[in-house]
Amino acid sequence: MKQNLISLALATLLVAPLTHALDLGKLVDELNKNPDLVNAVSGAVQNTIDANRTIGPKEEAAIGDGLAANLLGAAPLVNDAALQRYVNQVGAWVASRSEAPNLSWRFGVIDSPNVNGFATPGGTILITRGLYQKLNDEAELAGVLAHEISHVLLHHHIRAIQAGKGREAMGNALQGFASYKQGDTARQIGANALSGMSEVFVRGLDKDDEYEADIRGMALAARAGYNPYALVSVLQALSAINPADGTVQLMFSTHPAPNDRLNKIDQVVGDKLERYATGAEETQRFYRLK
Amino acid sequence: MKQHWISLALAGLIAAGASWADSGTLIRATPLKQKPLLDAATVSELPANSRLNIVARKGAWMQVKTASGQSGWVKLLNVRTGSAGSGGGGGLGTLGKVITTGSSGTTVTTGVKGLSAEQIENAKPNFAELDKLKQYQVSSGSATSSARQAGLGAQSVPYVAYTRGSASGSNTDATSPMNRRP
Repeated sequence: MKQNLISLALATLLVAPLTHALDLGKLVDELNKNPDLVNAVSGAVQNTIDANRTIGPKEEAAIGDGLAANLLGAAPLVNDAALQRYVNQVGAWVASRSEAPNLSWRFGVIDSPNVNGFATPGGTILITRGLYQKLNDEAELAGVLAHEISHVLLHHHIRAIQAGKGREAMGNALQGFASYKQGDTARQIGANALSGMSEVFVRGLDKDDEYEADIRGMALAARAGYNPYALVSVLQALSAINPADGTVQLMFSTHPAPNDRLNKIDQVVGDKLERYATGAEETQRFYRLK
Repeated sequence: MKQHWISLALAGLIAAGASWADSGTLIRATPLKQKPLLDAATVSELPANSRLNIVARKGAWMQVKTASGQSGWVKLLNVRTGSAGSGGGGGLGTLGKVITTGSSGTTVTTGVKGLSAEQIENAKPNFAELDKLKQYQVSSGSATSSARQAGLGAQSVPYVAYTRGSASGSNTDATSPMNRRP
């Protein structure tokens, strides 16, 4: 079967120069059915194929690790082990209630006064100290983490990179995968490709991605036993920050305005999750950051 | 004279406390309830655009105090915070905004500190820090028992369906009477 697919792929490659667009599409389809096959194909079109195809879970994890390393290069972890452990306990619990409980979920609070959160493909999620300090209870933290977890579950960042400016950088990174040695593939991606792909955090996702993450995240937080409307309180707090405040500029420029997100939640979720609104809000273990 | 200064300072404090996060605006006409329950007695009917002071939050409800001094509960989603309940946190337009601060008149460009776009663009990957992050990872088993100890219980909750492609219409008029909800 694999042999067959390889010949098909190679045959398609040979005709590619003549009828490139259509056949390339077919080839990409074949590769999507069998991502491993990519390693068997080589040629000048490799880059385009790589940037278009479905990315396998291992590649997603390696790219995600590289992107997380880049964000940590911009702002390191808050030097507070108790905080980091607490955020992992809450995040891993929420993620365990999702459709992908076995992804390698990791959470961290990074040392920046800016208010923002970042999800990277494969399950590494970083929120800033500035955002953490706005949170009043564990349900609000769970709401924020569930939003970021939803971005990971829906592959929003990988798709945005594929569709945007980071596409070529990702093609380069993926092309390298075949030659990477076993082990820490993220380190072998290279700083240039990582920098190119990190552009997604500066340009932001589609508005729909953000609304979808809010709405799915609310149900996910409810599954973990929290009041899902805690996210509404977080968005109301964000909305109250003066947009001219430097700490919210990147977040506001990469997300729909908090009030637009509230309007969307109002319109789509409304009272649909109210039977879960009696869920937990405050917990004794909530970690207050001075 | 001194008395004067103190009252002035107090007035300032009160004004500061009532602004931003602690106040909101109703986006639609809403009953003010005695308790955070739909079938609780109605204190009064509040018109759209009423300004409210936010006292507390519970579940899907917000405890508020009206300008006329009435207290009660309204649904969280009926309230918007931020200046005059308008757009609130703006979008691209606020990037690189230059503001002039108080009496000194110094001009500063906001957004220079913290995790800015430039810092992300110019960042070099820090894999040592990623290794540190990995050390804090917990298994879902550990997280589940920790959650149980914290009093959390799993619920079965279906996702609320969201249709993509409707985002461009985000200027949905929430104040339209067609869209009224208690």
